[in-house]
Amino acid sequence: MISTNKIYTTIVIAVFTVLLSFQSYSQNWDIPANKSSKNSYIPFNNETAKAGEAIYTKNCQSCHGNPGKANSLKTLKPVPPDLSEKQTQSRTDGDLFYIITTGRVVMPSFKIVLSEEERWKVIAFIRSYNKSYVQVLSKTDPSKSKLVKIVLDFNAKNNKIRVYAKANEASGVVLLKDAEIMLFANRYFGKLQIDKTLTTNSEGYADFNFPKDLPGDKTGNIDIVVNVNDELYGEIEHQEKLNIGIPTDKPALNEQRAIWNTLLKAPIWIIVTYTSLILLVTLVLLYILNTLRKLKKIGDK
Amino acid sequence: MLDQSKKDKITSDLLGSIRLNYSFMIWMAFLVTSFSICIYAYITQLQNGLAVTGLGDYVSWGIYIANFVFFVATSLIGMLISAVLGLSGAKWAAPLARIAEIIALAFAAVAGLVIVSDMGRPERLIYVFIHARIQSPILWDVTVVTMYVLISALLLYLPLIPDLKICHDKLVKIPNYLRNFYKILSLNWNGSLEQEKIILQSTRILAILIVPVALAIHTVTSWLFASTTRVGWDSTIFGPYFVTGAFVSGCAAVIIAMFFYRNNYKLKDYITEKHFDKMGKLLVLVSLVYLYFNLNEFMVPGYKMKKGDAVHIHDLFAGSHALLFWSVQIFGLVIPILLLLFKKMRKPLPMLVIALFVLFGAWFKRYIIVVPTMEHPFLPIQNVPLNFRIYTPTLTESLITLAPIILVLIIITILSKLFPIIPVQETIDHLEESN
Repeated sequence: MISTNKIYTTIVIAVFTVLLSFQSYSQNWDIPANKSSKNSYIPFNNETAKAGEAIYTKNCQSCHGNPGKANSLKTLKPVPPDLSEKQTQSRTDGDLFYIITTGRVVMPSFKIVLSEEERWKVIAFIRSYNKSYVQVLSKTDPSKSKLVKIVLDFNAKNNKIRVYAKANEASGVVLLKDAEIMLFANRYFGKLQIDKTLTTNSEGYADFNFPKDLPGDKTGNIDIVVNVNDELYGEIEHQEKLNIGIPTDKPALNEQRAIWNTLLKAPIWIIVTYTSLILLVTLVLLYILNTLRKLKKIGDK
Repeated sequence: MLDQSKKDKITSDLLGSIRLNYSFMIWMAFLVTSFSICIYAYITQLQNGLAVTGLGDYVSWGIYIANFVFFVATSLIGMLISAVLGLSGAKWAAPLARIAEIIALAFAAVAGLVIVSDMGRPERLIYVFIHARIQSPILWDVTVVTMYVLISALLLYLPLIPDLKICHDKLVKIPNYLRNFYKILSLNWNGSLEQEKIILQSTRILAILIVPVALAIHTVTSWLFASTTRVGWDSTIFGPYFVTGAFVSGCAAVIIAMFFYRNNYKLKDYITEKHFDKMGKLLVLVSLVYLYFNLNEFMVPGYKMKKGDAVHIHDLFAGSHALLFWSVQIFGLVIPILLLLFKKMRKPLPMLVIALFVLFGAWFKRYIIVVPTMEHPFLPIQNVPLNFRIYTPTLTESLITLAPIILVLIIITILSKLFPIIPVQETIDHLEESN
């Protein structure tokens, strides 16, 4: 009986797995309404489309191919669409922004790789293939982002970083509420996101849990990067060095003499062996040339 | 003492080849024409870069590098015949020393050019030296190949000095500039004991020096491969494996050259069947050693079948490279060894045929060493067109690969037209000694 049950369970799991995988391959992205209606604060024109093309070539082209050429990478599943096609162009700007930002299955997330401005520029490039497209600009004023001030406050007791976001308007200080906010630590090969993406509360701040064991430099300093995204004030980035990491002093692998190092830091034994062998052969060859000179002299007599 | 008439006969026999005749001119015209075609192919590569070849991201070393390894290999024979056999007192090899030395010099000197043909941007060659890293086997290779070319040139030149004097004295019909050329190169040779002693001593020093340098050039060439962790190359016996393989292809090259010189230069009295017999035995010896190394090279990883090695070995033994692999091993190594064990097969004509098989086999063996490994990287190859995965040399690439081979033939032809291919003075001296 048990074995029959087992087989049954296996079949059910298998069927669900297959169904689920089909589900995830479907065209349905389930984009939240407020994301779908989001608009770009960057005007889509020749200039931004051109900037977007450069970003596209570097990040998107290897899978999506050139728009209009139908040369996307067919071996991927699902096949990445040609972005000039109706399937893509019929979506709202907000949809495209959401898709680029979050990614799914084989489509990677560009949330950390590309800034918001870069993502909109890519969309400007994609839209340049749609003649009938008319842009609706967002009411966000990018110039207002300069007014925003970010303040970090580290609480050593509970290892939390509180991030305040305030705008110094002429009328007084405005707290940024419901602004999307991300915290990163700079690492060797890019930014490491700390905690989740949070939104500021009604008092204009968010609390991030900071890990207790993150290595810093020799004195424990860590470069913190805060990325705030507000409906009205746009995208704001703030960098600050905080002494909250574990002091770490690991000499770099290229500091000492080694096989893999530069010529000036070559191991002594290689330098000695190589040069002495060259010297030896050169001396012998010079000696031989000298004997030939002697030989000629003898003949001269 | 040898009587004068006999001496004169030897001299005229051995100097007989130094003249312009129709067959030489037709042969040179053929070589130069084919070389020009190959140069045209190279010009298209200079204009369009390595895109004209079958090389790509995965197989970035193709027939150019296989050719380079073959060239360095074949040049090693100079050391074996003129140094090892010479120093050990094997007198039978003396008439062959110059042939071996000319082959060595030509192949080693052109090997450097073969590497340049593999560069998409040859104008950046100077960077290899400006940004040289003393830790890199590539720099060691450049260094030792240069040394080997210099020593080989001297080892060819020194024993030639007495003969140059004879050329100057006896060849009265040749143009004056050529006679002056011989005179300058002969360094006032007068055959005095003092001069003879200098030549003897210097040749001896060079013969000793060339042994480690020659071992180094092919060991370092093998390290270009063995110092990586890639399947098929990651082997501790790659040095000796390459060196013995080199002797095999070098012996074959010398046998082919012997055959042509013997027939075309009418040297049947000097390159005798005895020489072929001895060279045949030498070829069997080095081939057996090479076979032994081959066994090690495939038996040990084949027994363990580590994941990466397994893919590689399956491909060689039963996969896409199997036909070439087994052809090379059977027709280029096993059958030649078996045939050469019979005295009847160690005659000039059968040996020519066998040596051609061995030499072609040796070239394709280098292909088997270089290309399949490149097709089997550790990280899986994904989402690339088929021609990225499987290497197929293009016509342009094949022509560019032929170019250095033709250049070597041109150099060998010119050198053996300018200088007596069998040492004249040495042959006379040996005869006098034995009398």
